[in-house]
Amino acid sequence: MNPPVITEQERAQKELAVVGKGIPKADAGVKVTGQAQYMHDLELPNMLYGKILYSDRASARIVSIDTSEAERIPGVKAVLTAYNTPEIRFGFLKDNMALKKDRVRQYRDEVAAVAATTPELAEAAIKAIVVHYEDLPAVFDPEEAMQEGAPLVHELNPKGEPNKDNRLRLPWKFSAGDVEAGEAASAFIAEGEYETGWVTHCCLGTAGCVAAFDPDDNLTMYSITQIPSLAKADFQEAMKAMGVRGKVRVVLTTLGGGFGSKLDTYAFEYIAMLLAHRTKKPVKILFDREEEFFATSPRQPTRIKIRQGCDAEGRLTFRDISMVLDNGAYTSWGATTPTVMMMPSSSLYQVENVRFRATCVYTNNTYAQAMRGYGTPQVTFAIESNLDELAEKAGIEGYEFRLKNANLPDTVTPQGFKVDSCGHVPCLEAVAERMDWAGYRAAKAARLAGDATGAGGDATLVESDTAGVPPVAQAAWTELPDKVRGIGMACLLHVGGGAKIYKSDGCGTLIKVDDLGYVDVYSGSMDMGQGLDTILRQIVAETLGLGVDRINVVIGDTDVCPWDAGAHASRSTFVAGNSALYAAQQVREQILNSAADILDTPRDGLDLTGGMVVCADDPEKTTKIEKVLRKAHFASAGNTMFMAAYFYEPPTDLLAGDFKGNYSMAYAWGCHGVEVEVDRRTGQIDIVRYIAAHDVGKAINPLLLRGQILGGGLQGIGWALAEEMIFDEGKLLNPNFRDYKMLTALDSVDVEPILVEDPAAAGPYGAKGIGEPGLVPTAPAIANAIYDAVGIRLRKLPMKPEMVLAAIMEAEGR
Amino acid sequence: MFLPDFDYHAPETLAEACDLVRDLGPSAKVLAGGTDLLIKLKHGLVTPTAVISLKALDELKTITHVPGRGVVIGARATHNDLVNSPLLHERFLSVSEAAHKLANNQVRNRGTVGGNLVNAIPSADLPPILIALDAWITLVGSNTSRTVPLHSFFTGPSCCVIDPVDEILTEIVLPDQQTTGSTYLKFALRRSGALSVTGVAVAVTMDGDTIVDSRICLGAVFPVPVRANDAEDLLRGKTWSDELLAEAGEAASCCALPITDIRGTAEYRLDLVRVLTKRALKRAITEGHV
Ligand SMILES: Cc1cc2nc3c(=O)[nH]c(=O)nc-3n(C[C@H](O)[C@H](O)[C@H](O)COP(=O)(O)OP(=O)(O)OC[C@H]3O[C@@H](n4cnc5c(N)ncnc54)[C@H](O)[C@@H]3O)c2cc1C
Repeated sequence: MNPPVITEQERAQKELAVVGKGIPKADAGVKVTGQAQYMHDLELPNMLYGKILYSDRASARIVSIDTSEAERIPGVKAVLTAYNTPEIRFGFLKDNMALKKDRVRQYRDEVAAVAATTPELAEAAIKAIVVHYEDLPAVFDPEEAMQEGAPLVHELNPKGEPNKDNRLRLPWKFSAGDVEAGEAASAFIAEGEYETGWVTHCCLGTAGCVAAFDPDDNLTMYSITQIPSLAKADFQEAMKAMGVRGKVRVVLTTLGGGFGSKLDTYAFEYIAMLLAHRTKKPVKILFDREEEFFATSPRQPTRIKIRQGCDAEGRLTFRDISMVLDNGAYTSWGATTPTVMMMPSSSLYQVENVRFRATCVYTNNTYAQAMRGYGTPQVTFAIESNLDELAEKAGIEGYEFRLKNANLPDTVTPQGFKVDSCGHVPCLEAVAERMDWAGYRAAKAARLAGDATGAGGDATLVESDTAGVPPVAQAAWTELPDKVRGIGMACLLHVGGGAKIYKSDGCGTLIKVDDLGYVDVYSGSMDMGQGLDTILRQIVAETLGLGVDRINVVIGDTDVCPWDAGAHASRSTFVAGNSALYAAQQVREQILNSAADILDTPRDGLDLTGGMVVCADDPEKTTKIEKVLRKAHFASAGNTMFMAAYFYEPPTDLLAGDFKGNYSMAYAWGCHGVEVEVDRRTGQIDIVRYIAAHDVGKAINPLLLRGQILGGGLQGIGWALAEEMIFDEGKLLNPNFRDYKMLTALDSVDVEPILVEDPAAAGPYGAKGIGEPGLVPTAPAIANAIYDAVGIRLRKLPMKPEMVLAAIMEAEGR
Repeated sequence: MFLPDFDYHAPETLAEACDLVRDLGPSAKVLAGGTDLLIKLKHGLVTPTAVISLKALDELKTITHVPGRGVVIGARATHNDLVNSPLLHERFLSVSEAAHKLANNQVRNRGTVGGNLVNAIPSADLPPILIALDAWITLVGSNTSRTVPLHSFFTGPSCCVIDPVDEILTEIVLPDQQTTGSTYLKFALRRSGALSVTGVAVAVTMDGDTIVDSRICLGAVFPVPVRANDAEDLLRGKTWSDELLAEAGEAASCCALPITDIRGTAEYRLDLVRVLTKRALKRAITEGHV
C-alpha cells in the first residue's frame, strides 16, 4: 500500500499545534513516582523463581553434571540440563542452544537451571549442582582465532557440517568504483589501524522475564524485548522444538533501558519457558547485576584497517576499509553490524572509490550483539580519525577538509543511497560557528608564530590556557604547562528513515475512536524509555486536531498490537510514526466525510483542529469533534464508529547481494565538536566543551530529542574515555559498576545540542530518526581534539589516562 | 546473590558490644555502615553466624574538639559526617575533602570512618590523609583499651592490628599540631564511585618558604598505606621550589611498591605517585589545609 502523500505546501500551510512541542514524556509521572511496573515488580500467583548455572570454563567438555543434591532441596521444583530437556536452538545462525550439551565455549554458557519457590532456594540449588569439566584449548584473540591450527570454537556448523576454521561464512564485502585507480590519483594517502574493545549497554533495569503457560499450553511471555513481533516468532519456534502446541503472546513490562541489548532473544528466556512448562507454573528469571554484565551481549570489538586518499586539492579519492570482528562464541545480530558499517564507509563524505570487507570470527569470549549505533561508532572512529590524519598530510585544516568533501542534498552515494534532505554542511557550519573554530585556530597559529620568532608567546601561558598549545612545534616539552587544550570534530551518517536489513521494515497501527473523543492507538512498536509512545501521541493528536491527553497509546502486547520489526536502527519515530500518521489520516478522512454529511456542508471546507470540526465556509457550523462522533455513532441510519488500520512498509531496498540500493527512506547527519583539556602528567582527559549538531529532519518533540542527543553523547564519551569490559581469558573481571567505569552524574558533560531541521520528505512531519546518532561520532571527535592538544594520535578505545600518558611520554621522549 | 542467615545483635552500650564481640568470638562480625561487609556476606567471602551492629552506639558518632587531645572523630561517623563537619572545615578541611572523594553519595551516607580503617584495603581513601595528620586511634576490648598510631595500624591488605575477637575501634584522634597545610589528591578513573588508582596525602609545616617538616602518605601503591620517608627527608629544612617538589615526587616513587591490577599498571602508579606528590605538596604549601 502506498502511503498517502502530503505535500510540503500542505505541511507548511498549517501551523502545528502539538508536533514540535516539548511535551513531557507520557510515562514521566509513573516513573518518577515509582509506579511504573518493571519486570522486577511483576509477580504472578504461584510463580517460581528460575536461576541459571553458568560454565566456569571458557572452553571445556562437560564430563558430568550431578543435580541430585539440588533436586533434594525442599522447594526446588525442577532442575534442568540439556540432558533432560528438548534442544532449543536460537540466534542469528542458530549456533546457540538454550542449555549447553557436552561442551561449553564461553564463561556465560548455560549449563543447568532450576526453578524454586524462592530466589534464595533457587540460588542454593544452583550452588548444589556439581559439574565436572575437562578443559579444551581455547582462543580469545580474533586474529589468533583466524590462524591455521587455532582451536575450533565450533567443530560443526549448525547444519552439522565440519567447520574449517573460526571464520563465519558471512558475505560482508562491498565495493564501488575503482580503489586502485583512486589510489593512483591520490596526492596524499593516510592509513591507520584502529581498535575498539568490549563495552556493554549498562541497562539500569537488569534483564528478566516471566514465562507462563495456560492449561492449553499457550505461553504468555512477559518480556523486556525490543522486538516483540520477532521475539514472538522466536518463542513460537522454540515451542515447536519443545513439542508444545500452544500459541505465544509477548507482553512487555516497562523497560529499564535497551540500547540494543534486547534485539535478540536470550537463552534465559528459553530456559524460563522450559522451566515453566516442566513445572506447570509461571517462572521468573531476573538477572542480578553481575549477570547483566556478563550474560547479556555487548558491542562487537573491532580491529579496523583503513586507507584514505585525496588529490592535491583535498578531494577524497578513495577509501579502503577492512576489519576483523570478535564474534564471541555464538552468533547474534551483532554479526550483521558490518552491513550497517558499510553505510558510513561508503557514503560519509563524497568518495567514489570504496572498498569494505569485514570478517567475523568465533572466539571463546562472550558473544556480541547490537548496541546503539550498530557498528557505525566503531567504523566512524576509524574514518573520522583517519580523515584528520589525511587532512594534515594534505596541509588542509580539518574543518575545511570536511566542508570540501561533505555530502550534499539530492545526491546518490556509491552504495546507492538516495540522499534528498542532507544537513551535513549545516551541521558542520553550526559546530564551527558555535565553537568559533576559525578564531580558535587563528589564536593558536598566532601563538605558534610568536613561539617561532622567540617573541615569547608562551610567557603568558597559564596552567589551563584555553587555546591550547601546539605541541608539535614546541621546542622543549618541559616548558609546556601540565594542562593543555585542543579542539576536534567528527561527523556522522546514519539511517534516519528505517533500515531494511530484515525482510520487512514495516510497522502496523490500529486506531479506534470512541464517541467521547478519546483515541486508542495500537502500535506494533515499543518504548524502552526513548519516548516512542509520546511521539505517537503527538503525531496522532496533530493529525486529528486533538490534545495529546485524548490519545492513548497501547504498545507491547502481541495479542493486541500489529506487527513491527522492532525498536532498532533509529527507526521507530520514522516508521511507527508514519504508520500511526497514515492510520490517523484515514480516521481523519472518515470523520471529516461523516461531518460533511452531518453538518450538511462540503467536505473541502472542513478541518479538525483544537478539538473541533472547523467549518471554514460557515463558522456557525463549527462543532466539537465528539458531537460529530456521537451523531455518527447514534445516527438513525448507517451507524458508524471510526477505526483504521495501516501497515507502513517503507518502500526501500533490502540490503543484500552486492549491498547496493536505497535501504533507508532518509539519512541523518551530524557533527560533533569538542574541546578537551589534557593533563600531560597523568593522561587525564577533561571535556571542556561538547557541541552536538544533528540533522533531525523535524523535531517532533525537542525535549525528548535533546534527551536522545545528550544521552547518546554521554554514552559515547564514556565509550571513548572510560568504559571497558576487562576480560582475562574470557572471564569478565569487572562485572559491577564500581569497576566498570560508566560515567556518573559527576562525570557528565554538558552536551550542547544543536538541532538542524532539514525536513525529510518521507518522514512523519519531516522527522528523521535520532535514537543512535548522538553516540556515533563521539570517540573520533575526542581523539581529534586530543591530537590537537598534545600531538598524539590515539587509535585504541577507551582512551584511558594510562594510555594517553604512555603515548605522551613516548612522544616527548620522557 | 542473597544475604545468608545470621543472628543479629544491636547492643545498646559499648561495654555490651565489647562483651558480645568477646563472647561470640570468630563466628561474629562487627557491622557499621555495611558497605564493605554486606558485599562480602553476599559473595560468601565471610560467613559469620552472627552480626553485631554498632548502630545504637550514638556516642561513637560525634566529631568534637577535646582540648589537649585534638579533634576526636567517633568511629561510627559516616563519610558524609566528615564532609559536613564545621569543626573539620575549620581545622582540617583536607579531611572533609578526602571523605568527599570517597565512593559516591549513597555510600558516603552509610559508610563509616571506622569501617574504612578496619576494612584495611590498600586503596582506601581515608588512611593516607589521617596518617599524614599523625592520627592515632583507640581500640576498646571487653577489659582493655589501647591507643595505636594509625601509621602502625595496618599490617597488610585487609589486615590490621585490631583483635577481631575482642576489640572495637571507637575513635580516631587528630592531635593538635603545628602543621600549616595538608591535602589529599586521589586519582581514579571516574569522579565518583571509583576506587583510587593512586592517592597521595601530605601535611606540611612551613616557616615562610622553608619546609620545617612534612609527612607524605601514599595510598594504593603498597600493601598498606605507606609513608614516603625518603621524600620527607629530602624536603626537611629546605626552601620550597617546583624543582624541589618534583625531586620529592621522584623520591616518593621509590617508596612505593605498587601492583598491576584492573585499575592500572604498576608503572603507571609510579608515574602518578611522582606527579601527585608534587602537586599535593604545592597545594598544601600554598593553600593550607585544603
Ligand atoms: C560502590 C562502593 C564504592 C566504594 N568506594 C570507595 C572509595 O572510593 N574509597 C574507599 O576508601 N572506600 C570505598 N568503598 C568501601 C567502603 O565504602 C568504605 O571502606 C567504608 O568506609 C566502609 O565503612 P562501613 O561502615 O560501611 O564498614 P562495614 O562494611 O560495616 O565494615 C567493614 C569492616 O570493618 C569492620 N568494622 C567496622 N566498624 C568497626 C569498628 N568500629 N570496630 C571494629 N571493626 C569494625 C567490620 O567488621 C568489617 O570487617 C566503596 C564501597 C562501595 C560499595
